[in-house]
Amino acid sequence: MLEIRGLVCRYGKVTALDGISLTVPEKKLVVLVGANGAGKSTTLRAISGLVPAASGQVIFNGEDITGMSASSILAKGIAHCPEGRRVFGQMTVLENLEIGAYLRKDTREIAADRDRVLSLFPRLAERRRQVAGTLSGGEQQMLAIGRSMMSRPKLIMFDEPSLGLAPNIVEQTFSIIQGIREAGTTVMMVEQNAFAALDMCDYAYLLEAGSMVLEGDGKELISNPHVREAYLGVTAHA
Amino acid sequence: MDQLLQHFANTIIMGGTYALLGIGLTLIFGIMRIVNFTHGELYAFGAYMMYFFATIIGMNFFVAIAFAIAAGMLLGMLLEFSLLRPKRGADIDTTMLIMIGAWIIMQNLEHLTWGGIAKSIPSPLPETPLVIGPISISWLRLMVLVIALLLIAATYSVINLTKLGKAMRATFQDSSTAALMGINVNAIYTLTFGFGSALAAAAGALLGPVFVVTPTMGDLASLKAFAIVILGGLGNITGAAIGGFILALAEEIGAGYISSGYRDAMGFVIIIIVLLFRPTGLFARAERVG
Repeated sequence: MLEIRGLVCRYGKVTALDGISLTVPEKKLVVLVGANGAGKSTTLRAISGLVPAASGQVIFNGEDITGMSASSILAKGIAHCPEGRRVFGQMTVLENLEIGAYLRKDTREIAADRDRVLSLFPRLAERRRQVAGTLSGGEQQMLAIGRSMMSRPKLIMFDEPSLGLAPNIVEQTFSIIQGIREAGTTVMMVEQNAFAALDMCDYAYLLEAGSMVLEGDGKELISNPHVREAYLGVTAHA
Repeated sequence: MDQLLQHFANTIIMGGTYALLGIGLTLIFGIMRIVNFTHGELYAFGAYMMYFFATIIGMNFFVAIAFAIAAGMLLGMLLEFSLLRPKRGADIDTTMLIMIGAWIIMQNLEHLTWGGIAKSIPSPLPETPLVIGPISISWLRLMVLVIALLLIAATYSVINLTKLGKAMRATFQDSSTAALMGINVNAIYTLTFGFGSALAAAAGALLGPVFVVTPTMGDLASLKAFAIVILGGLGNITGAAIGGFILALAEEIGAGYISSGYRDAMGFVIIIIVLLFRPTGLFARAERVG
């Protein structure tokens, strides 16, 4: 469904992505793990058109979308739920959801989708007229996820959905993401919580310093000695 | 007492146009964070366009107002597109210098085009004022107030109730996330600048026939607009509207009870007092940082 070929991204003279390639098959959950600064977020930002690609291609459903604007990429069906939630703090829960459906014109269907999101997240339904900046971190994450569903995307990319959340909320967030995948939406996820991410995914990539160093099934990566030592905090001799 | 009532009446009349000026600037300075020194020039531009459409071409007075507002919007969009868009993301000093340059050029172009002699715009409204008890108000000023209030209500609705207004608010809270929602952020910047400029031009088009039109009329308007925005709190539309009326009241009281020479000084007095005691503006909400 999504294919990246030899993607290179630079911030000034710093190379953030040095020719990475990856594939996200339809209806699968693919994760991208790696340390801070490895280029995970840059990968997502390049796919969604926020960061220009210096070279390489992003192919979505057979179409080259490299260099398209963020809004045309969203219109093609790729939603991006950014790191740190980034809800619009001075707007209400309902307004945030409406903004998620900004490109759509089917008012009645939008309202139906909004109600579906609110029934999925009862906490948001209770707080629908509240300004998003006053929600707790977990509620803001739910809102960010709900907002990314409002464009009816074919693929949703989650950037660090567990960041800064309490452990029980993290678990809830991951099960919601699982649910989205089971409902038929393809998911790509970037996570620092490597164990949980590898455990739930269909396929995984390991990014180090802008290069793809490993790929395989989640279980395969979990048992890989390098991954165990560097990312799961298990020493090779234990 | 009668004199005080008349001062209050004058306050309401002037306050409406001041509110327009202030709301226009709070969109640009308060929300977009561009220190817009051209705001007063757009006010002057609106007045000259009013002179052009109503007096030179001889259009219907009210149609001319609409045309002057539209011209202000177009000029504002052109300024944003040509001067600010290439410098998006630059620090505030850079854009401030650009806007100072634009201010000087615009003012001198007005001088070059229209000459230094003040122009007056005759109005079709009756000369005899409306007299209610001890208060007398000219029909022209009353019309200015009504149109200003309509424009304020329209602005308020656009920002708070329409999809465009939501996109504007989202863009200025977090432009990269707004882009991820499919909002054309560049278009929103240009449109918002145009919108703020249109309000400045509207104030000019409305006050042009009340006073006279001169190339330097924008300077004082700019300063007053900044006073109103600081008074109401940056980016606060309701604050700017109320701030406009407070400035008008301060000017009336200053002119009526201190000395008429103090009228235009009241804006500065207000800026100093607000910055000393309530630097976030009179109507600032508590803000959650981070």
